[in-house]
Amino acid sequence: MTSLSCEQTDDLLGAYALDALTAPEAADVSDHLKTCAEHRQSAEELRRTVSLLSLAVDEREPSPQLRDRIMTSIHSAPREPLPAAAPGPVLVPIRRAPRLPRWAPPRALVAMAAGVLLALGIGSLAGYRIGQTNSPTNGHPVAYQFKGGLLAPTAQASLVYLPDRQQAVLAVNGLPPLDPGHVYEMWLVDSHGLPSDEGVTTAPDGKITVQMDADLSKYREFAITIEPGERQTPTSQPVLRGSLRAGSA
Amino acid sequence: MAAQLQRGEPSGVEGLYDKYGRLAYGLAYRVLSDRTAAEDVVQEAFLGLWRNSGSFDPSRGNVRGWLLSIVHNRAIDRLRGTTRLRKETQIEIVEQVLEAPDTWETVSIHLQQKQIREGFAQLPEAQRQTLELAYFGGYTHLEIAGRMGVPLGTVKGRMRMGLEKMRSFLQGRGVTA
Repeated sequence: MTSLSCEQTDDLLGAYALDALTAPEAADVSDHLKTCAEHRQSAEELRRTVSLLSLAVDEREPSPQLRDRIMTSIHSAPREPLPAAAPGPVLVPIRRAPRLPRWAPPRALVAMAAGVLLALGIGSLAGYRIGQTNSPTNGHPVAYQFKGGLLAPTAQASLVYLPDRQQAVLAVNGLPPLDPGHVYEMWLVDSHGLPSDEGVTTAPDGKITVQMDADLSKYREFAITIEPGERQTPTSQPVLRGSLRAGSA
Repeated sequence: MAAQLQRGEPSGVEGLYDKYGRLAYGLAYRVLSDRTAAEDVVQEAFLGLWRNSGSFDPSRGNVRGWLLSIVHNRAIDRLRGTTRLRKETQIEIVEQVLEAPDTWETVSIHLQQKQIREGFAQLPEAQRQTLELAYFGGYTHLEIAGRMGVPLGTVKGRMRMGLEKMRSFLQGRGVTA
């Protein structure tokens, strides 16, 4: 075994992270890392980057039999304990260049949506339970009710969709105050799981009332996240989310 | 799913397969370019994950990353015809993402994949080829130097710089551990 200097280790670290060294070289680097905190950290960071490369591949469909083969094999295989692992690294959120907000509360549409909700017997845009499931494709107004998750337990949202106009009105209340520089960002998630940015707002007083111009039949979920300025993709867990597959009319 | 795995419930493996089976197979196929061999590797990986799932702690890492690291290691081993001692159970070196169910997890995965592909695509050609040969081809730096006809030092530099650029690109978009 050769004792490597920091300079020599630095030279090999990329190949080490990629598992592309010869066995003796890898052993030398591993030996150096035991006593060099700086290179140990560098190696770990490079390893993490390497681990992400597996996500660069395209998904492929295996044969239908593979699932059964796997399940058959695990039913006859004993389990073994793993050695304890160290705590995982801290999540860093996705960041994107900010864009200008484009939401505005449309009074006429809000009034119309409120009327629809009243006709449905809901009483207000922020009402509770809204009746039975109905398809948003039959032309009738459709109403959805969402409740906040752990990050916004008091939040409630009502979304009324007008299929013939392909417009919706969203009313949310009970949102928690935002940290300075942050916004609430709305998302529609399509059938492929891809989110579409539907704009941002600061939700003063914890309330949002806005219009969305979208064909909701093309989306399966609505969500709101807290972002450090408007983003093209979500960077955090939703504070509120819900399915758009079942609304009420 | 991770909790089901931990409790020894086979349904945890089923759920994992339904969610990540295509990705795992895509990775194995990318390395091996052979359907049968890729399916064998995926089967071995799920079996290995099941056997070692007893002490898996969902709070420590991402089961998807754990699974993919097993698939990658076994695929490369098969490609090289070796069974090298690997760190496939060290889930702390695997990237961690938000553990979220349903649609939002799917969203996170798609976003990450998109960013990682973009990160890979923005690398200079020589660096990208070098990383591909090492990660997906299982070649050592010496073998890559021979294949590409460049000095060994150049290969080592391309590996380091390529990874650093990827890391910087992904970190700038939050897609890294």
